[in-house]
Amino acid sequence: MSGDESTVRSRWLRGAHRTLTGLHPALESLLAAVVGLLVGAILMYLYGFDPWKAYAGLIKGAFGGSYEIASSLARATPLILTALTFSICLRSGMFNIGAEGQMYIGGIASVLVAYFILPTGLHQIAGLIFAAFAGAVWSLVPAFLKLTRGVHEVISTIMFNWIARWLALYLAIFVVVDPLRPEKTLSIPMTARFPVLVRGTDLSYAIFVSIAFALVVYFLLWHTAIGYEVRAAGLNPTAARYGGIRNKRTMFLSFVLGGIAAGLAGATIVMGLPPTYAIYGGGGLPQLMNLGFDGMAVAMVGRNHPIGILVAALFFGGLNAGGRVMQFYGSNPVPLEMVRVVMGAIVLVMSIPELIRLFPMIKKRGEELIEPLKRWTRRSEKRESA
Amino acid sequence: MTDQLVPSKNGFFLKADRITKVYSDGTVALKEATLEIRPHEIVGLLGENGAGKTTLTKILSGLLPPTRGRVVSPKGTVRFASPREALDFGIGMVHQHFALVGTFTAAENVALSHDRPLARIRIAETLRKLEALMEESGLHVPLDVPVEKLAVGEQQRVEILKVLSRDVDLLILDEPTSVLTPLEVDELFALLRRLRDEGKSIILITHKLKEVGSVTDRVVVLRRGEMVGDVKTAEASTEQLARLMVGQALEEEADAVELSTEEIPHKRARDEVERTGEGVLHVENLVVKGNTGEIAVDGVSFDVYGGEIFGIAGVEGNGQSELVESLTGLRVPVSGTATIHGTNILGVDPRKIYRLGVAHIPEDRWELGLVLPFTLAENAILGVHRWEEFRGPLSILRRGKITQHVRRLMDRFDIQATGPNAPAKSLSGGNQQKLIVGRELAKDPAIIVASQPTRGLDIGAAHYIRQTLLEMRDAGRAILLVSADLDEVLAHADRVGIMYEGRFMEVCSPDRLDRERVGMLMGGATKAKREAE
Amino acid sequence: MDATFGEEGIRMSFNDILSLLRISLHAMVPLALTAAGEIVGETAGLFNIGLEGILLLSAFGGALAAEFGGPGVGLLVGMGIGGTVSLVFAVINTYWRGTQMVTGIGINLFAVGFVAFGLIQLGAPGFHDVPKAVELAKLRTPMGLMSPMILLALIAPVVIHWFLQRTRAGLMLKAAGETPEAADVAGININRIRLLAAVFGGALAGLGGAYMSVAWLGLVTKDLSAGRGFIALACVVFSGLNPLLALLGAFIFGFFQALAEWVKTLPSKPIPGEFVSMLPYIITLLVVSGAIGRVRFPKSLGVPYKRE
Repeated sequence: MSGDESTVRSRWLRGAHRTLTGLHPALESLLAAVVGLLVGAILMYLYGFDPWKAYAGLIKGAFGGSYEIASSLARATPLILTALTFSICLRSGMFNIGAEGQMYIGGIASVLVAYFILPTGLHQIAGLIFAAFAGAVWSLVPAFLKLTRGVHEVISTIMFNWIARWLALYLAIFVVVDPLRPEKTLSIPMTARFPVLVRGTDLSYAIFVSIAFALVVYFLLWHTAIGYEVRAAGLNPTAARYGGIRNKRTMFLSFVLGGIAAGLAGATIVMGLPPTYAIYGGGGLPQLMNLGFDGMAVAMVGRNHPIGILVAALFFGGLNAGGRVMQFYGSNPVPLEMVRVVMGAIVLVMSIPELIRLFPMIKKRGEELIEPLKRWTRRSEKRESA
Repeated sequence: MTDQLVPSKNGFFLKADRITKVYSDGTVALKEATLEIRPHEIVGLLGENGAGKTTLTKILSGLLPPTRGRVVSPKGTVRFASPREALDFGIGMVHQHFALVGTFTAAENVALSHDRPLARIRIAETLRKLEALMEESGLHVPLDVPVEKLAVGEQQRVEILKVLSRDVDLLILDEPTSVLTPLEVDELFALLRRLRDEGKSIILITHKLKEVGSVTDRVVVLRRGEMVGDVKTAEASTEQLARLMVGQALEEEADAVELSTEEIPHKRARDEVERTGEGVLHVENLVVKGNTGEIAVDGVSFDVYGGEIFGIAGVEGNGQSELVESLTGLRVPVSGTATIHGTNILGVDPRKIYRLGVAHIPEDRWELGLVLPFTLAENAILGVHRWEEFRGPLSILRRGKITQHVRRLMDRFDIQATGPNAPAKSLSGGNQQKLIVGRELAKDPAIIVASQPTRGLDIGAAHYIRQTLLEMRDAGRAILLVSADLDEVLAHADRVGIMYEGRFMEVCSPDRLDRERVGMLMGGATKAKREAE
Repeated sequence: MDATFGEEGIRMSFNDILSLLRISLHAMVPLALTAAGEIVGETAGLFNIGLEGILLLSAFGGALAAEFGGPGVGLLVGMGIGGTVSLVFAVINTYWRGTQMVTGIGINLFAVGFVAFGLIQLGAPGFHDVPKAVELAKLRTPMGLMSPMILLALIAPVVIHWFLQRTRAGLMLKAAGETPEAADVAGININRIRLLAAVFGGALAGLGGAYMSVAWLGLVTKDLSAGRGFIALACVVFSGLNPLLALLGAFIFGFFQALAEWVKTLPSKPIPGEFVSMLPYIITLLVVSGAIGRVRFPKSLGVPYKRE
């Protein structure tokens, strides 16, 4: 191959190869989603439901119109943030399962803006700051326990989830409760609310908070020295130490950031969810419940990358929004809880690595596509080892 | 078990018949390798790293299935589905990285390969059997201590006992001498000869020509997966074997092989050590504890000057790693002093140490030196990622500068890769090491700490790195070279310190040492000890 | 004998103490069984945080089965559910070399959804009463009505401890969890032994789950497990993989759960119910924080094995 020819061809091939290899994880997520939906369909069928009708209702409810899409985005808003909690910490090598608890505390903290009077803009910022701070504090204690006493963060964050649940319930029922309507907390004042983005839906400007945070995290992780240290510490702590990285500090930082994200998630519910702009106590904080764990599913499907998380959150938001419609759709509607079953199945499937290898047909097709690229890379590798 | 010993008409115990092995990632490890194994024989399996020696023996011992070809016994084809089946057949392998469970005692480790599952462990019986075996073989080891607390040489003995306790006919040893002192090597070889005389077959995997000459009856050479030589040891010269090992290599490469196998030639460009006179590293009474809490470095003192290579020789495990770690910010010593140009470096962050002009080529390039999933560019700034050159305001990384930097490295050090954004794990070992060396040297260091810098590299890459270090020395830098490859140290260092059990046995110029002396020093014998005997 | 605390004069009679003890022992059972089972799994190298989900699924399934065939069937089915879910977990994480943490989270998510879904199908969303007739009969003892399962919960850890320490199978499990390469060379099929260990552990957890609905509380709710799976994990961590210590831990945690319940029943509430509910989790946290320094885990815990 002559010099010029090879540079042009090789540059194109290299790009194509990189795109395809880059897409590889996305394909795996897609496959997992399909399998998860399949599992849900099988279960529905076994219980005597019509899976087609159910999924039709689901899709309609998720993306059927602008109202529905807005609804999906609204559901996605907190998920983006709780997913980031899990992902940021995972990137630094830690399993932070505590988004749920951190979110509860953050949510309650943002209700506190009801006690102040501030102009619009500042009031919202105040709410975000309270929530971020509270979430960070709640995730710092497990981080601290891990650093000083080596307590496994999975156990400690889970315990803190439960403690947070009861603490938040107590605060919601007895401390920041609305005296006129004791089943919920105070509603935050108009100046602190995020205005509705699409009239008639519950999508508010809070979505921009989530997206902005995701972009900030992306930039932080891949374009700053601090983010570099976090990723290095997560991939190879020994080499990171060799490189002068203080692993304890990066770990701590990732927990703080994760806590902030979860706290903000709580804030988006309080400050960005019409019509009440408050938290209902009723039997376990229903608006917030499970958003933390769902966030983990989103993180995994999004391959722990902020951009992937945005896409995955939309998907899961769609599942949730669609589920609400699905449970009234048709003559024998499927209950909302089925959505969580699907989510669980998707996560289960995601835990299998190299999913694609398990399906020979897909593998073969993929192989046929990639074969010329593989040949080229092998040739270049031979050149280097010669 | 013993009927395999009876030599059949063909006279062999086992035969590898045109074995080909292709790994799942496409690497061809073995190409039609054929090998006959006979009783009463020690066969040396010789070859460079990656030649296929370990692969072949793993296939013979049941750990891996061949892609093509078969293993044959006088009775016909044999197929081992697991190491256990091979063991039952009479093949036992002593691995390079011992297959021992650290928290178990020696007795428990041996018990693991016997008995049926739900049986109660009869420790007493196992102990009795082991003690008898120890008497017979001359290998002695404490039997009731968790194996991880034993010295490496003792662990190897446990491995061998484990295999012998199964009454094997073929014993395969994978690079057994890399962790032994010369004295222990002699003991091991004496044992092997004894076993051979009893009728066993032994395969000794090694890349050291010297060993082949001293204990084997036959030598088989592998190169890039192919069998390139099968000769009687007595009939082969070292040069022949060296050339078979590296193939149609350059004069230089063959010389390099000989360099590492012959008596130490003093191929130095200059007659005198031209020190710049300035001491760079000063170490005084350094005491460092190891991972198990015991003293690993026991009061070491030395200086390294600009323009010289100070070599630390010795069998691995005598404190060299801990010494290097304490000088590069990876371990906090117990007591002592160490300074670079007068500034303390003990208990200091690696980042600060790098700023003082220290470059560190670590002994484990995968664990320490690189973050494998990172790209070349990202790895090229490991350790210097916070320097102003690469980091702008708000901690933002200067992508442009970084790419420039890594391209320069790829050019200067001839690093073969698909581009600066290729993941580091896609590089060959030699290129990975070159990346690390390049990165470290680009720091413009005053002193380079190189720990096992050519370990596991093919001749070409190893040679390149050694040349680079020599160039650095000639340019006035100080170099601390730690290597378990005795010949490497003796051939390149201006001064040598021989380390044993955490102390320097002697520090002098290599000219004053002959191999016998070095061997004894590495094994801990001093004049006083000798006189005491 | 009476004890009086505080100004409001909380009276704690001898009967109260007995009843506290009784409830503690009952609360101990699911924790002890689950922890003992998980110890076997972790010794072999598998870390299953999906225990919570298993408890939930087996409580639900066991209750339903009991309604068909009585308490014995209910308990057996519970074990079967636990074993099957663990089988899936094990296959994914041994033969298919998956990520154990993620599989566990998936199991938990799935279980929550499935049980909630199933409860709706049975009629009352979030709640289902197990008919008294199919509950496992409690025995009359001096301490009141107690479930025979308590005995099992006390014996199982002891048997498992003996098994791990004294049989060759125990040795094999430890080898597989600590240095699978060595175990492989010794002829042990790593994946198979991990699978068996996980299934066994899951079956025990399933038994604990079914016990909750069939032999103790007599009902199934959406969050019946209430974090017990994770508390069991904390027991395992705190015990350093010693089943006897785990049993002790299970009793302690059970005691605090019982205490929380008892405080809620007091006429004058010195502490709000929510804070009392927090107690078991806080105690768990304190114990784990305090105990951590001493324990040592198998080196290959959580790491899939590949023969090279």
